[in-house]
Amino acid sequence: MTATRTGTSQRVVTTRSARANAHIGRHAQTIAIAVVLVVLLIFFAFSADRFATTGNLLNLLRQIAPTLVVATAMTFVISTSGIDLSVGSTVALSGSLLAIVLQHGWNPTLALVAILALGALIGFVNGWFSSYQNIPPFIVTLAMLSIMRGTALRATEGYSTPIDGDLWIVQIGQGRIAGVPVPAILAVIIALVGWLVLTRTPFGRYVIGLGSNGESLRRTGVNTRKVGLTVYVLTGLAAAIAGVLIATRLSSGSSNAGTGFELEVITAVVLGGTSLFGGRASMLGTILGALTLGVIANGLVLLHVSPFYVQIVQGGILLLAIFANSKVWARFGAIRK
Amino acid sequence: MTDQEAGRVDRVVMRDIRKRYGMVDALRGVTLRVGPGEVVGLVGDNAAGKSTLMKVLAGAVVPDSGEIVFDGRPVSFASPKDARELGIEMVYQDLALCDDIDVAGNLFLGREPRKAGGMMLDVRKMHADARRHLDALNIRIPLTDIPVGGLSGGQRQAVAIARAVTFGPKLLILDEPTAALAVAEVETVLELIKTVSAQDVSVILITHRLQDLFRVCDRLCVMYEGTLRADLDAQNTSLERLVSEIVAHDEGEKEGRRR
Repeated sequence: MTATRTGTSQRVVTTRSARANAHIGRHAQTIAIAVVLVVLLIFFAFSADRFATTGNLLNLLRQIAPTLVVATAMTFVISTSGIDLSVGSTVALSGSLLAIVLQHGWNPTLALVAILALGALIGFVNGWFSSYQNIPPFIVTLAMLSIMRGTALRATEGYSTPIDGDLWIVQIGQGRIAGVPVPAILAVIIALVGWLVLTRTPFGRYVIGLGSNGESLRRTGVNTRKVGLTVYVLTGLAAAIAGVLIATRLSSGSSNAGTGFELEVITAVVLGGTSLFGGRASMLGTILGALTLGVIANGLVLLHVSPFYVQIVQGGILLLAIFANSKVWARFGAIRK
Repeated sequence: MTDQEAGRVDRVVMRDIRKRYGMVDALRGVTLRVGPGEVVGLVGDNAAGKSTLMKVLAGAVVPDSGEIVFDGRPVSFASPKDARELGIEMVYQDLALCDDIDVAGNLFLGREPRKAGGMMLDVRKMHADARRHLDALNIRIPLTDIPVGGLSGGQRQAVAIARAVTFGPKLLILDEPTAALAVAEVETVLELIKTVSAQDVSVILITHRLQDLFRVCDRLCVMYEGTLRADLDAQNTSLERLVSEIVAHDEGEKEGRRR
Protein backbone atom coordinates (compact mmCIF):
# COMPACT_ATOMS: atom_id res chain seq x y z
CA MET A 1 0.00 0.00 0.00
CA THR A 2 2.84 2.37 0.85
CA ALA A 3 4.36 1.68 -2.52
CA THR A 4 1.26 2.70 -4.43
CA ARG A 5 0.95 5.88 -2.41
CA THR A 6 4.18 7.26 -3.85
CA GLY A 7 2.76 7.05 -7.34
CA THR A 8 -0.54 8.69 -6.54
CA SER A 9 0.00 12.21 -7.85
CA GLN A 10 1.51 10.94 -11.05
CA ARG A 11 -1.35 8.54 -11.57
CA VAL A 12 -4.05 11.15 -11.07
CA VAL A 13 -2.51 13.19 -13.86
CA THR A 14 -2.42 10.28 -16.28
CA THR A 15 -5.98 9.25 -15.60
CA ARG A 16 -7.27 12.81 -15.95
CA SER A 17 -5.70 13.07 -19.37
CA ALA A 18 -6.90 9.57 -20.13
CA ARG A 19 -10.39 10.65 -19.25
CA ALA A 20 -10.15 13.80 -21.32
CA ASN A 21 -8.91 11.78 -24.27
CA ALA A 22 -11.52 9.14 -23.78
CA HIS A 23 -14.31 11.69 -23.61
CA ILE A 24 -13.14 13.59 -26.67
CA GLY A 25 -12.53 10.35 -28.49
CA ARG A 26 -15.93 8.97 -27.62
CA HIS A 27 -17.81 12.05 -28.65
CA ALA A 28 -15.55 13.47 -31.36
CA GLN A 29 -17.43 11.93 -34.21
CA THR A 30 -20.83 12.78 -32.80
CA ILE A 31 -19.65 16.39 -32.43
CA ALA A 32 -18.29 16.30 -35.97
CA ILE A 33 -21.53 15.05 -37.49
CA ALA A 34 -23.46 17.63 -35.49
CA VAL A 35 -21.22 20.36 -36.97
CA VAL A 36 -21.72 18.97 -40.48
CA LEU A 37 -25.48 18.94 -39.93
CA VAL A 38 -25.54 22.54 -38.70
CA VAL A 39 -23.40 23.68 -41.63
CA LEU A 40 -25.72 21.90 -44.07
CA LEU A 41 -28.80 23.40 -42.37
CA ILE A 42 -27.36 26.91 -42.62
CA PHE A 43 -26.26 26.34 -46.20
CA PHE A 44 -29.65 25.10 -47.38
CA ALA A 45 -31.53 27.70 -45.32
CA PHE A 46 -29.80 30.45 -47.28
CA SER A 47 -29.65 28.80 -50.68
CA ALA A 48 -33.04 27.06 -50.92
CA ASP A 49 -36.05 29.32 -50.45
CA ARG A 50 -38.49 26.84 -49.02
CA PHE A 51 -36.01 24.80 -46.97
CA ALA A 52 -36.30 26.56 -43.61
CA THR A 53 -40.07 26.40 -43.39
CA THR A 54 -41.96 24.42 -40.75
CA GLY A 55 -43.78 22.54 -43.46
CA ASN A 56 -40.60 21.45 -45.18
CA LEU A 57 -38.80 20.48 -41.98
CA LEU A 58 -41.77 18.37 -40.86
CA ASN A 59 -41.84 16.82 -44.30
CA LEU A 60 -38.12 16.09 -43.96
CA LEU A 61 -38.75 14.35 -40.64
CA ARG A 62 -41.44 12.24 -42.27
CA GLN A 63 -39.08 11.34 -45.09
CA ILE A 64 -36.33 10.10 -42.84
CA ALA A 65 -38.65 8.34 -40.36
CA PRO A 66 -38.18 4.83 -41.85
CA THR A 67 -34.41 5.33 -41.99
CA LEU A 68 -34.29 6.56 -38.41
CA VAL A 69 -36.41 3.67 -37.11
CA VAL A 70 -34.21 1.02 -38.70
CA ALA A 71 -30.98 2.93 -37.96
CA THR A 72 -31.91 2.86 -34.27
CA ALA A 73 -32.09 -0.93 -34.36
CA MET A 74 -29.06 -1.15 -36.64
CA THR A 75 -27.02 0.75 -34.06
CA PHE A 76 -27.52 -2.21 -31.73
CA VAL A 77 -26.50 -4.72 -34.39
CA ILE A 78 -23.39 -2.78 -35.43
CA SER A 79 -22.45 -2.27 -31.76
CA THR A 80 -22.17 -6.04 -31.43
CA SER A 81 -19.84 -5.89 -34.48
CA GLY A 82 -22.60 -7.43 -36.60
CA ILE A 83 -24.39 -6.13 -39.68
CA ASP A 84 -27.88 -6.60 -41.12
CA LEU A 85 -28.10 -6.23 -44.89
CA SER A 86 -31.58 -7.72 -45.15
CA VAL A 87 -33.54 -4.72 -43.80
CA GLY A 88 -34.25 -3.22 -47.25
CA SER A 89 -35.77 -6.46 -48.51
CA THR A 90 -37.71 -6.86 -45.29
CA VAL A 91 -39.15 -3.37 -45.86
CA ALA A 92 -40.30 -4.46 -49.34
CA LEU A 93 -41.74 -7.78 -48.13
CA SER A 94 -43.58 -6.34 -45.14
CA GLY A 95 -45.04 -3.45 -47.18
CA SER A 96 -46.11 -5.77 -49.99
CA LEU A 97 -47.65 -8.37 -47.71
CA LEU A 98 -49.44 -5.69 -45.70
CA ALA A 99 -51.09 -4.40 -48.88
CA ILE A 100 -51.93 -7.91 -50.06
CA VAL A 101 -53.52 -9.12 -46.83
CA LEU A 102 -55.49 -5.87 -46.53
CA GLN A 103 -56.76 -6.44 -50.06
CA HIS A 104 -57.86 -9.90 -48.92
CA GLY A 105 -59.98 -8.17 -46.32
CA TRP A 106 -57.89 -8.77 -43.20
CA ASN A 107 -58.61 -6.65 -40.18
CA PRO A 108 -55.98 -3.84 -40.31
CA THR A 109 -54.98 -4.34 -36.67
CA LEU A 110 -54.48 -8.06 -37.21
CA ALA A 111 -52.56 -7.37 -40.43
CA LEU A 112 -50.30 -4.92 -38.63
CA VAL A 113 -49.55 -7.37 -35.82
CA ALA A 114 -48.91 -10.17 -38.31
CA ILE A 115 -46.50 -8.04 -40.37
CA LEU A 116 -44.55 -6.95 -37.28
CA ALA A 117 -44.38 -10.58 -36.13
CA LEU A 118 -43.11 -11.57 -39.56
CA GLY A 119 -40.36 -8.93 -39.34
CA ALA A 120 -39.34 -10.21 -35.93
CA LEU A 121 -39.32 -13.77 -37.29
CA ILE A 122 -37.03 -12.76 -40.18
CA GLY A 123 -34.75 -11.15 -37.63
CA PHE A 124 -34.89 -14.30 -35.51
CA VAL A 125 -33.69 -16.39 -38.45
CA ASN A 126 -30.86 -13.91 -39.10
CA GLY A 127 -29.93 -13.96 -35.44
CA TRP A 128 -30.12 -17.72 -35.07
CA PHE A 129 -27.72 -18.32 -37.94
CA SER A 130 -25.34 -15.51 -36.94
CA SER A 131 -25.35 -15.85 -33.18
CA TYR A 132 -26.09 -19.52 -32.49
CA GLN A 133 -24.43 -21.02 -35.57
CA ASN A 134 -21.56 -18.52 -35.78
CA ILE A 135 -22.04 -17.88 -39.50
CA PRO A 136 -20.78 -14.38 -40.37
CA PRO A 137 -23.82 -12.05 -40.24
CA PHE A 138 -22.68 -10.42 -43.49
CA ILE A 139 -23.29 -13.72 -45.31
CA VAL A 140 -26.47 -14.65 -43.44
CA THR A 141 -28.16 -11.31 -44.00
CA LEU A 142 -26.91 -11.09 -47.60
CA ALA A 143 -28.66 -14.40 -48.24
CA MET A 144 -31.78 -13.14 -46.47
CA LEU A 145 -31.64 -9.96 -48.56
CA SER A 146 -31.97 -12.09 -51.66
CA ILE A 147 -34.58 -14.46 -50.20
CA MET A 148 -36.83 -11.69 -48.90
CA ARG A 149 -36.66 -9.60 -52.06
CA GLY A 150 -37.46 -12.69 -54.10
CA THR A 151 -40.37 -13.55 -51.82
CA ALA A 152 -41.73 -10.00 -52.15
CA LEU A 153 -41.46 -10.14 -55.93
CA ARG A 154 -43.13 -13.56 -56.02
CA ALA A 155 -45.96 -12.41 -53.72
CA THR A 156 -46.73 -9.31 -55.78
CA GLU A 157 -45.66 -10.63 -59.20
CA GLY A 158 -43.87 -7.32 -59.46
CA TYR A 159 -47.00 -5.17 -59.31
CA SER A 160 -47.77 -2.57 -56.68
CA THR A 161 -50.77 -3.40 -54.52
CA PRO A 162 -52.96 -0.43 -53.53
CA ILE A 163 -54.08 0.08 -49.94
CA ASP A 164 -57.61 1.39 -49.37
CA GLY A 165 -57.29 4.98 -48.13
CA ASP A 166 -60.35 4.62 -45.87
CA LEU A 167 -58.65 2.11 -43.57
CA TRP A 168 -57.33 3.54 -40.31
CA ILE A 169 -53.95 1.99 -40.95
CA VAL A 170 -53.03 4.57 -43.62
CA GLN A 171 -52.99 7.15 -40.82
CA ILE A 172 -49.71 5.55 -39.67
CA GLY A 173 -48.06 6.87 -42.80
CA GLN A 174 -50.20 9.90 -43.62
CA GLY A 175 -51.76 11.10 -40.38
CA ARG A 176 -50.75 14.09 -38.36
CA ILE A 177 -51.02 14.75 -34.65
CA ALA A 178 -51.05 18.48 -33.84
CA GLY A 179 -49.65 19.08 -37.29
CA VAL A 180 -46.70 16.72 -36.85
CA PRO A 181 -46.60 13.69 -39.18
CA VAL A 182 -47.24 10.42 -37.34
CA PRO A 183 -44.15 8.70 -38.86
CA ALA A 184 -41.96 11.47 -37.43
CA ILE A 185 -43.50 11.05 -33.99
CA LEU A 186 -43.11 7.28 -34.13
CA ALA A 187 -39.49 7.56 -35.30
CA VAL A 188 -38.56 10.02 -32.55
CA ILE A 189 -40.20 7.83 -29.89
CA ILE A 190 -38.44 4.72 -31.17
CA ALA A 191 -35.08 6.52 -31.33
CA LEU A 192 -35.52 7.79 -27.75
CA VAL A 193 -36.47 4.34 -26.49
CA GLY A 194 -33.46 2.96 -28.37
CA TRP A 195 -31.20 5.50 -26.72
CA LEU A 196 -32.62 4.64 -23.30
CA VAL A 197 -32.20 0.91 -23.86
CA LEU A 198 -28.65 1.27 -25.19
CA THR A 199 -27.36 3.53 -22.44
CA ARG A 200 -29.49 2.74 -19.40
CA THR A 201 -30.37 -0.94 -19.41
CA PRO A 202 -28.37 -4.11 -18.75
CA PHE A 203 -29.26 -5.29 -22.26
CA GLY A 204 -27.69 -2.18 -23.80
CA ARG A 205 -24.63 -2.72 -21.66
CA TYR A 206 -24.34 -6.32 -22.88
CA VAL A 207 -24.72 -5.22 -26.51
CA ILE A 208 -21.69 -2.94 -26.08
CA GLY A 209 -19.84 -5.65 -24.14
CA LEU A 210 -20.54 -8.20 -26.85
CA GLY A 211 -18.98 -5.95 -29.46
CA SER A 212 -16.13 -4.91 -27.19
CA ASN A 213 -15.07 -8.30 -25.81
CA GLY A 214 -17.68 -10.99 -26.27
CA GLU A 215 -15.65 -13.68 -24.55
CA SER A 216 -15.27 -11.51 -21.47
CA LEU A 217 -19.01 -10.99 -21.35
CA ARG A 218 -19.68 -14.71 -21.79
CA ARG A 219 -17.34 -15.53 -18.91
CA THR A 220 -19.27 -13.25 -16.59
CA GLY A 221 -22.24 -15.53 -17.16
CA VAL A 222 -24.24 -13.42 -19.61
CA ASN A 223 -26.04 -15.40 -22.31
CA THR A 224 -24.20 -13.70 -25.17
CA ARG A 225 -25.90 -15.77 -27.87
CA LYS A 226 -29.29 -14.56 -26.74
CA VAL A 227 -28.06 -10.95 -26.79
CA GLY A 228 -26.60 -11.53 -30.27
CA LEU A 229 -29.88 -12.98 -31.51
CA THR A 230 -32.05 -10.27 -29.95
CA VAL A 231 -30.38 -7.43 -31.86
CA TYR A 232 -31.35 -9.06 -35.18
CA VAL A 233 -34.93 -9.48 -33.98
CA LEU A 234 -34.84 -5.72 -33.31
CA THR A 235 -33.68 -4.88 -36.85
CA GLY A 236 -36.22 -7.28 -38.33
CA LEU A 237 -38.99 -5.70 -36.30
CA ALA A 238 -37.77 -2.18 -37.14
CA ALA A 239 -37.61 -3.03 -40.85
CA ALA A 240 -41.22 -4.27 -40.71
CA ILE A 241 -42.25 -1.00 -39.02
CA ALA A 242 -40.41 0.92 -41.75
CA GLY A 243 -42.17 -1.18 -44.38
CA VAL A 244 -45.54 -0.33 -42.86
CA LEU A 245 -44.62 3.37 -42.67
CA ILE A 246 -43.58 3.47 -46.33
CA ALA A 247 -46.50 1.41 -47.65
CA THR A 248 -49.13 3.36 -45.70
CA ARG A 249 -47.59 6.70 -46.68
CA LEU A 250 -47.76 5.77 -50.36
CA SER A 251 -51.07 3.86 -49.96
CA SER A 252 -49.43 1.06 -51.85
CA GLY A 253 -47.24 -1.95 -51.17
CA SER A 254 -44.41 -2.43 -53.64
CA SER A 255 -41.85 -5.21 -53.92
CA ASN A 256 -39.38 -2.60 -55.18
CA ALA A 257 -39.56 -0.53 -52.00
CA GLY A 258 -36.42 -0.22 -49.90
CA THR A 259 -33.89 -0.90 -52.63
CA GLY A 260 -30.55 0.26 -51.22
CA PHE A 261 -32.31 1.09 -47.96
CA GLU A 262 -29.90 -1.06 -45.94
CA LEU A 263 -26.96 0.99 -47.18
CA GLU A 264 -28.64 4.27 -46.29
CA VAL A 265 -29.32 2.94 -42.78
CA ILE A 266 -25.76 1.70 -42.30
CA THR A 267 -24.47 5.04 -43.60
CA ALA A 268 -26.56 6.90 -41.00
CA VAL A 269 -25.24 4.69 -38.20
CA VAL A 270 -21.60 4.91 -39.23
CA LEU A 271 -21.84 8.67 -39.84
CA GLY A 272 -22.95 9.00 -36.23
CA GLY A 273 -19.77 7.47 -34.92
CA THR A 274 -20.81 3.89 -34.14
CA SER A 275 -17.83 1.66 -34.85
CA LEU A 276 -18.26 -1.09 -37.45
CA PHE A 277 -15.90 -3.15 -35.29
CA GLY A 278 -18.36 -3.03 -32.41
CA GLY A 279 -18.09 -1.80 -28.84
CA ARG A 280 -18.53 1.88 -29.59
CA ALA A 281 -22.00 3.24 -30.19
CA SER A 282 -23.77 6.58 -30.22
CA MET A 283 -27.53 6.67 -30.57
CA LEU A 284 -27.45 10.46 -30.69
CA GLY A 285 -24.92 10.15 -33.51
CA THR A 286 -27.25 7.78 -35.37
CA ILE A 287 -30.09 10.31 -35.09
CA LEU A 288 -27.80 13.08 -36.36
CA GLY A 289 -26.52 10.81 -39.13
CA ALA A 290 -30.04 10.01 -40.32
CA LEU A 291 -30.94 13.73 -40.17
CA THR A 292 -27.85 14.62 -42.19
CA LEU A 293 -28.76 12.18 -44.95
CA GLY A 294 -32.32 13.51 -44.95
CA VAL A 295 -31.19 17.14 -45.10
CA ILE A 296 -28.88 16.40 -48.04
CA ALA A 297 -31.62 14.63 -49.99
CA ASN A 298 -34.27 17.24 -49.17
CA GLY A 299 -32.03 20.27 -49.68
CA LEU A 300 -30.59 19.16 -52.99
CA VAL A 301 -34.08 18.48 -54.35
CA LEU A 302 -35.19 21.97 -53.28
CA LEU A 303 -32.14 23.39 -55.06
CA HIS A 304 -33.36 21.60 -58.21
CA VAL A 305 -30.19 19.57 -58.32
CA SER A 306 -30.61 16.30 -60.17
CA PRO A 307 -31.68 13.65 -57.63
CA PHE A 308 -28.95 11.43 -58.98
CA TYR A 309 -26.44 13.65 -57.20
CA VAL A 310 -28.00 12.82 -53.83
CA GLN A 311 -26.44 9.37 -53.71
CA ILE A 312 -23.09 10.73 -54.88
CA VAL A 313 -23.03 13.34 -52.13
CA GLN A 314 -24.21 10.87 -49.47
CA GLY A 315 -21.53 8.37 -50.49
CA GLY A 316 -18.87 11.08 -50.50
CA ILE A 317 -19.82 12.18 -47.01
CA LEU A 318 -19.71 8.58 -45.77
CA LEU A 319 -16.22 8.13 -47.17
CA LEU A 320 -15.09 11.38 -45.55
CA ALA A 321 -16.61 10.34 -42.22
CA ILE A 322 -14.85 6.96 -42.24
CA PHE A 323 -11.62 8.67 -43.23
CA ALA A 324 -11.94 11.13 -40.36
CA ASN A 325 -12.90 8.26 -38.06
CA SER A 326 -9.77 6.26 -38.75
CA LYS A 327 -7.22 9.04 -39.36
CA VAL A 328 -8.20 12.12 -37.40
CA TRP A 329 -10.13 10.91 -34.37
CA ALA A 330 -7.80 7.96 -33.85
CA ARG A 331 -5.43 10.52 -32.36
CA PHE A 332 -7.86 10.96 -29.49
CA GLY A 333 -8.00 7.25 -28.83
CA ALA A 334 -11.34 6.83 -30.51
CA ILE A 335 -10.15 3.75 -32.37
CA ARG A 336 -8.49 1.03 -30.44
CA LYS A 337 -8.88 -1.89 -32.76
CA MET B 1 -3.08 -20.20 7.13
CA THR B 2 -5.87 -22.58 8.03
CA ASP B 3 -5.28 -25.93 9.63
CA GLN B 4 -6.60 -28.80 7.60
CA GLU B 5 -8.35 -30.89 10.21
CA ALA B 6 -9.05 -34.43 9.11
CA GLY B 7 -12.78 -34.05 9.56
CA ARG B 8 -13.10 -30.72 7.82
CA VAL B 9 -14.83 -30.65 4.45
CA ASP B 10 -12.69 -29.60 1.54
CA ARG B 11 -13.78 -26.44 -0.26
CA VAL B 12 -13.34 -28.14 -3.59
CA VAL B 13 -12.16 -31.51 -4.87
CA MET B 14 -11.63 -32.10 -8.58
CA ARG B 15 -11.34 -35.79 -9.34
CA ASP B 16 -9.92 -37.40 -12.47
CA ILE B 17 -10.70 -34.44 -14.74
CA ARG B 18 -10.11 -35.13 -18.43
CA LYS B 19 -10.36 -32.80 -21.43
CA ARG B 20 -9.26 -33.34 -25.00
CA TYR B 21 -9.09 -30.74 -27.77
CA GLY B 22 -8.95 -32.58 -31.07
CA MET B 23 -5.70 -34.49 -30.95
CA VAL B 24 -4.38 -32.74 -27.87
CA ASP B 25 -4.95 -34.26 -24.44
CA ALA B 26 -5.08 -31.06 -22.42
CA LEU B 27 -6.00 -32.80 -19.16
CA ARG B 28 -5.28 -36.48 -18.59
CA GLY B 29 -7.04 -37.26 -15.32
CA VAL B 30 -6.19 -34.51 -12.85
CA THR B 31 -7.14 -34.64 -9.18
CA LEU B 32 -6.87 -31.45 -7.13
CA ARG B 33 -8.03 -30.62 -3.60
CA VAL B 34 -8.30 -27.20 -1.96
CA GLY B 35 -9.31 -26.57 1.66
CA PRO B 36 -11.21 -23.57 3.01
CA GLY B 37 -8.97 -20.52 3.30
CA GLU B 38 -6.11 -22.41 1.75
CA VAL B 39 -3.86 -20.77 -0.84
CA VAL B 40 -2.75 -23.28 -3.45
CA GLY B 41 -0.12 -22.38 -6.00
CA LEU B 42 -0.70 -24.11 -9.33
CA VAL B 43 2.48 -24.20 -11.36
CA GLY B 44 3.76 -25.91 -14.45
CA ASP B 45 5.39 -25.10 -17.73
CA ASN B 46 3.45 -23.57 -20.60
CA ALA B 47 0.79 -25.93 -21.97
CA ALA B 48 0.89 -28.08 -18.83
CA GLY B 49 -2.89 -27.68 -18.53
CA LYS B 50 -3.11 -25.19 -15.65
CA SER B 51 -5.37 -22.72 -17.38
CA THR B 52 -7.61 -25.41 -18.84
CA LEU B 53 -8.03 -27.03 -15.42
CA MET B 54 -8.99 -23.71 -13.90
CA LYS B 55 -11.41 -22.92 -16.73
CA VAL B 56 -13.09 -26.24 -15.94
CA LEU B 57 -13.38 -25.20 -12.30
CA ALA B 58 -14.77 -21.80 -13.31
CA GLY B 59 -17.32 -23.37 -15.65
CA ALA B 60 -15.84 -21.79 -18.80
CA VAL B 61 -14.77 -25.21 -20.14
CA VAL B 62 -16.87 -28.36 -19.78
CA PRO B 63 -14.63 -31.39 -19.11
CA ASP B 64 -15.00 -34.64 -21.06
CA SER B 65 -15.13 -36.59 -17.80
CA GLY B 66 -14.35 -36.24 -14.13
CA GLU B 67 -16.06 -35.12 -10.94
CA ILE B 68 -16.12 -31.82 -9.05
CA VAL B 69 -17.17 -31.75 -5.40
CA PHE B 70 -17.77 -28.30 -3.92
CA ASP B 71 -18.30 -27.94 -0.16
CA GLY B 72 -19.02 -31.67 0.02
CA ARG B 73 -21.63 -31.69 -2.78
CA PRO B 74 -21.04 -33.01 -6.30
CA VAL B 75 -21.59 -30.23 -8.82
CA SER B 76 -21.42 -29.77 -12.57
CA PHE B 77 -21.13 -26.50 -14.42
CA ALA B 78 -22.74 -25.86 -17.79
CA SER B 79 -21.64 -22.22 -17.81
CA PRO B 80 -19.54 -19.76 -15.79
CA LYS B 81 -22.78 -18.62 -14.23
CA ASP B 82 -23.26 -21.97 -12.47
CA ALA B 83 -19.77 -21.79 -10.97
CA ARG B 84 -20.25 -18.17 -10.00
CA GLU B 85 -23.48 -18.91 -8.18
CA LEU B 86 -21.56 -21.31 -5.93
CA GLY B 87 -18.99 -18.61 -5.22
CA ILE B 88 -16.18 -19.51 -7.62
CA GLU B 89 -14.59 -16.42 -9.17
CA MET B 90 -11.82 -16.44 -11.73
CA VAL B 91 -9.52 -13.69 -12.93
CA TYR B 92 -8.32 -14.65 -16.37
CA GLN B 93 -4.84 -14.30 -17.74
CA ASP B 94 -6.06 -12.29 -20.71
CA LEU B 95 -7.82 -9.85 -18.35
CA ALA B 96 -11.27 -10.35 -19.84
CA LEU B 97 -12.28 -6.74 -19.53
CA CYS B 98 -14.39 -4.83 -22.04
CA ASP B 99 -12.17 -1.94 -23.15
CA ASP B 100 -15.08 0.22 -24.25
CA ILE B 101 -16.96 -0.04 -20.95
CA ASP B 102 -16.01 2.11 -17.98
CA VAL B 103 -14.38 0.95 -14.74
CA ALA B 104 -17.62 0.65 -12.76
CA GLY B 105 -19.33 -1.11 -15.66
CA ASN B 106 -16.58 -3.69 -15.87
CA LEU B 107 -16.61 -4.27 -12.10
CA PHE B 108 -20.30 -5.11 -12.23
CA LEU B 109 -20.49 -6.67 -15.70
CA GLY B 110 -23.13 -9.38 -15.74
CA ARG B 111 -24.59 -8.41 -12.34
CA GLU B 112 -25.22 -4.69 -12.54
CA PRO B 113 -27.18 -2.96 -9.79
CA ARG B 114 -30.65 -2.42 -11.19
CA LYS B 115 -33.69 -0.30 -10.53
CA ALA B 116 -37.20 0.06 -11.91
CA GLY B 117 -37.89 -3.61 -11.28
CA GLY B 118 -34.69 -4.84 -12.89
CA MET B 119 -35.34 -3.03 -16.14
CA MET B 120 -32.82 -0.23 -15.81
CA LEU B 121 -29.20 0.07 -14.70
CA ASP B 122 -28.71 1.90 -11.43
CA VAL B 123 -25.72 3.83 -12.74
CA ARG B 124 -25.33 6.04 -9.69
CA LYS B 125 -25.28 3.10 -7.29
CA MET B 126 -22.87 1.31 -9.62
CA HIS B 127 -20.34 4.14 -9.47
CA ALA B 128 -20.76 4.61 -5.71
CA ASP B 129 -20.30 0.88 -5.07
CA ALA B 130 -17.33 0.73 -7.43
CA ARG B 131 -15.64 3.57 -5.58
CA ARG B 132 -16.26 1.86 -2.23
CA HIS B 133 -14.90 -1.50 -3.45
CA LEU B 134 -11.80 -0.01 -5.04
CA ASP B 135 -11.03 1.99 -1.90
CA ALA B 136 -11.53 -1.08 0.30
CA LEU B 137 -8.93 -2.91 -1.78
CA ASN B 138 -6.54 0.05 -1.89
CA ILE B 139 -6.76 0.15 -5.66
CA ARG B 140 -5.94 3.63 -6.88
CA ILE B 141 -8.14 4.50 -9.80
CA PRO B 142 -9.44 8.05 -9.24
CA LEU B 143 -12.28 7.88 -11.76
CA THR B 144 -14.75 5.08 -12.27
CA ASP B 145 -16.36 6.55 -15.40
CA ILE B 146 -13.47 6.16 -17.83
CA PRO B 147 -13.33 3.21 -20.25
CA VAL B 148 -10.80 0.63 -19.03
CA GLY B 149 -9.14 0.80 -22.44
CA GLY B 150 -7.65 4.10 -21.26
CA LEU B 151 -6.03 2.59 -18.14
CA SER B 152 -2.53 1.24 -17.63
CA GLY B 153 -1.89 -2.50 -17.60
CA GLY B 154 -1.56 -2.56 -13.82
CA GLN B 155 -4.77 -0.64 -13.33
CA ARG B 156 -6.59 -2.97 -15.70
CA GLN B 157 -5.34 -6.00 -13.81
CA ALA B 158 -6.41 -4.39 -10.55
CA VAL B 159 -9.90 -3.85 -11.95
CA ALA B 160 -10.05 -7.47 -13.07
CA ILE B 161 -9.01 -8.72 -9.62
CA ALA B 162 -11.33 -6.30 -7.85
CA ARG B 163 -14.19 -7.57 -9.97
CA ALA B 164 -13.64 -11.08 -8.66
CA VAL B 165 -12.83 -10.23 -5.04
CA THR B 166 -15.52 -7.70 -4.27
CA PHE B 167 -18.39 -10.12 -4.63
CA GLY B 168 -17.34 -12.28 -1.70
CA PRO B 169 -16.29 -15.49 -3.46
CA LYS B 170 -15.63 -18.75 -1.59
CA LEU B 171 -12.94 -19.74 -4.06
CA LEU B 172 -10.87 -17.27 -6.02
CA ILE B 173 -8.85 -18.39 -9.02
CA LEU B 174 -6.10 -16.03 -10.15
CA ASP B 175 -4.50 -16.84 -13.51
CA GLU B 176 -1.17 -14.99 -13.77
CA PRO B 177 -2.44 -12.02 -11.76
CA THR B 178 0.97 -10.44 -11.38
CA ALA B 179 2.41 -11.06 -14.85
CA ALA B 180 1.80 -7.55 -16.16
CA LEU B 181 2.31 -5.64 -12.94
CA ALA B 182 4.97 -3.28 -11.64
CA VAL B 183 6.84 -4.34 -8.51
CA ALA B 184 4.75 -2.21 -6.18
CA GLU B 185 1.54 -3.52 -7.70
CA VAL B 186 2.70 -7.12 -7.21
CA GLU B 187 3.03 -6.38 -3.50
CA THR B 188 -0.51 -5.05 -3.47
CA VAL B 189 -1.84 -8.19 -5.10
CA LEU B 190 0.05 -10.50 -2.74
CA GLU B 191 -1.27 -8.54 0.24
CA LEU B 192 -4.71 -8.83 -1.28
CA ILE B 193 -4.37 -12.61 -1.53
CA LYS B 194 -3.36 -12.84 2.15
CA THR B 195 -6.28 -10.64 3.21
CA VAL B 196 -8.74 -12.68 1.22
CA SER B 197 -7.54 -16.08 2.41
CA ALA B 198 -7.61 -14.88 6.03
CA GLN B 199 -11.35 -14.46 5.52
CA ASP B 200 -11.65 -18.20 4.82
CA VAL B 201 -11.70 -17.71 1.05
CA SER B 202 -9.75 -20.38 -0.80
CA VAL B 203 -7.35 -19.12 -3.43
CA ILE B 204 -5.78 -20.91 -6.37
CA LEU B 205 -2.89 -18.93 -7.76
CA ILE B 206 -1.40 -19.66 -11.16
CA THR B 207 1.88 -17.89 -11.73
CA HIS B 208 5.27 -18.16 -13.33
CA ARG B 209 6.76 -15.88 -10.68
CA LEU B 210 7.89 -18.67 -8.39
CA GLN B 211 9.15 -16.28 -5.71
CA ASP B 212 5.56 -15.09 -5.19
CA LEU B 213 4.38 -18.61 -4.41
CA PHE B 214 6.47 -19.05 -1.30
CA ARG B 215 5.20 -15.73 0.05
CA VAL B 216 1.52 -16.58 0.06
CA CYS B 217 0.91 -20.28 -0.67
CA ASP B 218 0.17 -23.14 1.72
CA ARG B 219 0.55 -25.84 -0.91
CA LEU B 220 2.14 -26.04 -4.34
CA CYS B 221 0.65 -28.27 -7.02
CA VAL B 222 2.82 -28.94 -10.04
CA MET B 223 1.28 -29.88 -13.36
CA TYR B 224 3.14 -31.52 -16.19
CA GLU B 225 1.68 -32.33 -19.61
CA GLY B 226 -1.91 -32.62 -18.48
CA THR B 227 -1.30 -34.45 -15.20
CA LEU B 228 -0.75 -33.39 -11.61
CA ARG B 229 2.89 -34.31 -11.04
CA ALA B 230 3.47 -33.21 -7.46
CA ASP B 231 1.58 -31.85 -4.45
CA LEU B 232 4.07 -30.09 -2.20
CA ASP B 233 3.93 -28.36 1.16
CA ALA B 234 5.09 -24.80 0.53
CA GLN B 235 6.79 -24.55 3.95
CA ASN B 236 9.07 -27.53 3.40
CA THR B 237 9.89 -27.17 -0.27
CA SER B 238 12.88 -25.46 -1.77
CA LEU B 239 12.83 -23.41 -4.95
CA GLU B 240 15.21 -25.94 -6.52
CA ARG B 241 12.87 -28.81 -5.78
CA LEU B 242 9.93 -26.90 -7.24
CA VAL B 243 11.77 -26.04 -10.42
CA SER B 244 12.90 -29.61 -10.96
CA GLU B 245 9.30 -30.81 -10.55
CA ILE B 246 8.08 -28.23 -13.06
CA VAL B 247 10.54 -29.24 -15.75
CA ALA B 248 10.16 -32.91 -14.80
CA HIS B 249 13.85 -33.44 -14.26
CA ASP B 250 15.33 -34.95 -11.14
CA GLU B 251 18.34 -32.68 -11.03
CA GLY B 252 20.38 -30.39 -13.23
CA GLU B 253 19.53 -28.23 -16.28
CA LYS B 254 16.61 -26.99 -14.21
CA GLU B 255 17.05 -23.32 -14.96
CA GLY B 256 17.54 -23.93 -18.65
CA ARG B 257 13.92 -24.24 -19.66
CA ARG B 258 12.52 -21.58 -17.43
CA ARG B 259 13.56 -18.45 -19.26
